[in-house]
Amino acid sequence: MKKLVFAAVAAVAIGTSAYADPIKVGVIGPFSGPFALQGKNFKAGIDAYMAVNGNTVGSDTVEIVYRDVPQPDPAQSKALAQELIVKEKVQYLAGFYFTPDAMAVTPILKQGNVPMVIMNAATSAIVTKSPLVVRTSFTTWQTSTPIAKVAFDAGVKKVISVVSDYGPGVDAENAFKAGFEKAGGQVVEAIRMPLATNDFSPIMQRIKDSGAQGVFAFLPSGPTTLGFVKAYNENGLKAAGIKFFAPGDLTQESDLPALGDAALGIQTTFHYAVSHDSPENKAFVEAATKAIGNKAELSFPAVSAYDGMYVIYKMIEATGGKQDAEKAVDAVKGLAWASPRGPVSIDPESRHITQNIYLREVAKSDDGTYINKEIQTFEKQGDPGLAAAK
Amino acid sequence: MQTVFSIAVDALAYGMVLFVISIGLSVTMGLMRVVNLAHGAFAMIGGYIASYAARDLGLGYAAAVIAAVVATIIIAIPLERFLYRRIYGAPELTQVLMTIGITFCVIGIANYAMGPTLKTIPLAGALQGSADLGFRTIPVHRLFVILCGLAVALALWFAIERTSFGVKLRASVDDAAMAAALGVRTEIIYAVSFAVAVGLAAFGGVVGAELLPVEPYYALRYMVTFLVVVSVGGAGSIPGALIACLLLGAIDTTGRYLMPEFGEFFFYLAVIAIICVFPRGLAGRVK
Amino acid sequence: MALVMNSENERLQHQRRFSGDLIGITAIVAIGAIGYFVFPDNLALLTRMITIALLVLSLDLVTGYCGVATLGHAALFGSGAYAAGILSAHYGINDPLLMMLAGIAAGAIAGLLSGAIILRAHGLPQLVLSIALIHLFHEFANKASSWTGGSDGLSGIAPDPIFGLFEFDLYGQTAFFFGMTLLLVVFVLLRFLVRSPFGMLCRGIRQDPLRIRAMGGSPMAALIRMYVISGAVAGVGGALNAISTQVVGLDSLSFTQSAEALVMLVLGGTGSLFGALSGTVIFMLFEDYVSAANPFHWLTMVGALLIAVVLFAPKGLFGTAAAFVRRRKEARA
Repeated sequence: MKKLVFAAVAAVAIGTSAYADPIKVGVIGPFSGPFALQGKNFKAGIDAYMAVNGNTVGSDTVEIVYRDVPQPDPAQSKALAQELIVKEKVQYLAGFYFTPDAMAVTPILKQGNVPMVIMNAATSAIVTKSPLVVRTSFTTWQTSTPIAKVAFDAGVKKVISVVSDYGPGVDAENAFKAGFEKAGGQVVEAIRMPLATNDFSPIMQRIKDSGAQGVFAFLPSGPTTLGFVKAYNENGLKAAGIKFFAPGDLTQESDLPALGDAALGIQTTFHYAVSHDSPENKAFVEAATKAIGNKAELSFPAVSAYDGMYVIYKMIEATGGKQDAEKAVDAVKGLAWASPRGPVSIDPESRHITQNIYLREVAKSDDGTYINKEIQTFEKQGDPGLAAAK
Repeated sequence: MQTVFSIAVDALAYGMVLFVISIGLSVTMGLMRVVNLAHGAFAMIGGYIASYAARDLGLGYAAAVIAAVVATIIIAIPLERFLYRRIYGAPELTQVLMTIGITFCVIGIANYAMGPTLKTIPLAGALQGSADLGFRTIPVHRLFVILCGLAVALALWFAIERTSFGVKLRASVDDAAMAAALGVRTEIIYAVSFAVAVGLAAFGGVVGAELLPVEPYYALRYMVTFLVVVSVGGAGSIPGALIACLLLGAIDTTGRYLMPEFGEFFFYLAVIAIICVFPRGLAGRVK
Repeated sequence: MALVMNSENERLQHQRRFSGDLIGITAIVAIGAIGYFVFPDNLALLTRMITIALLVLSLDLVTGYCGVATLGHAALFGSGAYAAGILSAHYGINDPLLMMLAGIAAGAIAGLLSGAIILRAHGLPQLVLSIALIHLFHEFANKASSWTGGSDGLSGIAPDPIFGLFEFDLYGQTAFFFGMTLLLVVFVLLRFLVRSPFGMLCRGIRQDPLRIRAMGGSPMAALIRMYVISGAVAGVGGALNAISTQVVGLDSLSFTQSAEALVMLVLGGTGSLFGALSGTVIFMLFEDYVSAANPFHWLTMVGALLIAVVLFAPKGLFGTAAAFVRRRKEARA
């Protein structure tokens, strides 16, 4: 009896799958909790891509399955990835905002025959953990290295580095130091402050006392960034002419309305600005704004997700909808296309994205909103972090 | 020398901000004996309302502060009536469960209704900019917060120690049954104190928003800080809370200046040391 | 006469306890089996539940049985996880049983340390001590990034197959059965522990430490011993976590993890091993279900669940259910 039921269920399952078995893509990201905004941007980028390009590749339908990991939690991330692979039978894993969450999943990719497309996690080493990892976001090294040159060219010879004391912060400090010292400048002091810092006045005092002409900073976006930039202005550092340099995480578009005039004139280097001027970006911003509902919330994770979906669609095309992780990854090695952020390509060796890095300055646009205005382009930047680790 | 003064000023300002935000919690926890982990949630609600009033309705800063305090109390009244009244006198852990539940709900609703981005409260013109102290500049807003802190401390101390309401409140806390037998309407006393605590939370949330910006996760992000400050001071003691805030503010600020790498260590080691020496908090009453 | 009744009573009680044990073990096995057959594709979730259940059981030992309020219990759990992980990632000792031993030892040491500090105060200040402690542990692990991987997490943990036979694979069978076995062993040992004279002493301390001292007992020594045992149990959970997920993150030492464990415990009901287990299972199933159904706004639902439990089941889900059954029985008798 039991067997009969089983057979019947199996038959139904096979029967339906013959018609339309959608190709599932599992997306893991922070959709609730303190980083909900970033997860929301993942979803907006994905929705935008599917709205523009349809939800089918050839004869296959693509379906997205979302799973929430609100804060860095590798155990949870791995359990969810396992569930997605084994139970939901996803063919692709994507998303991953935090490095440890991505690291936890890399060991099971091979056995699950599933490629992983990273849409944010920015530590260089992740791509070395499994040959099935492709990254469409950026690394902290990639975005922090050019600002060192910018600082030196602006005539600043002595810089103090101030970063939050966690993985990406340390990466940023090392990247800046390497770049700045190579250019001939001097990092007079490197401060690492705890992530949970609310009052930055003592740090500002330290910066003043160090005698540096400029400050390089890295903090996670959100309330800490706001506090830091405010303290920079209020404690008279801006007035004293101490220049401010940072990668673009600090002037994420969704934080700009809160930062307001305090941020005007801050120069950052990053791979994407919502204000980027190109037809591809216009189309993207329009679709993504529709998906997210409020343009002010749109920022960089959305474009990584959008390009991540482009890569996944190419993978599906190359494998004809069949599950073959290796073939899928091989198909996108060296792939080059026009992304909303500018021309990009997947480096065949590291499987990380090669892209332009832009120097931007926070400015007021004609309609009164704050934007990151691109003023200089560093073309075709790879990831210096991998080389540095060797 | 200049640096020492400078750090002292920063420490004072930071300590007073902590005091303004957490003193409401001292009232609920020390006087009403409710471990109210939703304190941060009320502060956040206040911040959101002030931000909405000032940015979208175009009210002035003072009006926004008043609107935030009043509206937060109005929101809190049904919560007190239907939820908090059930946990007065319940075991601590039950109170923790209930108030964490409330906090989760508030976070979820705030995220849904207001979106996940940071919200700011535009300051009144007079509070913007920096004041020159001779040896350094300090944001005018910080001076304003220091004054607010002093005013709140004085007013609360007066209300609790010098008015008949304060007498009734202390009586209800020490022995509710006896106070009731003597004709004190403890229910009303509790409701009013709760409203005062929530109002203070909202006030602190608005005034402190320059340092602790308003966003949905506010309610949990700073909860630990509030809890620590109040307990170190000795729950329910206004002078205790004030001393604790200034002391911890000073330790935190100095630690972050001298050795920012170990900033967190300083703060929490100090907390452990203080509690080991004063197991009931700096000004805790012996039960 | 009275004497006879007493011994009669005792015999009955013994029987009842024994059957309680049997029922408990059967219940765990049955729930495990149901989980296995209902969610054969989701063993990772079940394994995660087991690791957290071990943490909550360990928390119950100090909170439920000794009355210690702590929001820092993940310190013990995380120490176990890091010890097991570091053994594998840095020393290349990949035997799961050895890793487990390291976890137990580290958990016990962390328990000793935490106990020595947390037990110095009572009530609210105690809660704050535990919060300070968990932050210190967390900061320490963040600072020692050459050992722990810092915020990037400790990766490169590669446990060998158990007994050289059962490999830890994608489908999570081995991890699940390994975890179930550990949970059963721990549960049986704890049943013995909480009923032993030592367990009774601890309950006595919770109710009236002064009287225990007057009777010549030393509350502090007993509580510290319990803390060490609790640390060992949490260490089992932590090591299992490291072995089954092969990554250890700072979250395993976090305040959030501690608070979640406490919420699960109070949800199920303190002072009972079944309460701890049922709280974990119900909370995690509920969370998994609502967060999959709506990954964006599920937190509100969890909050509502907690409020509802306080309103309608103030002794926790298991505690209230047990009280209900007892009342029914008494009414019938």
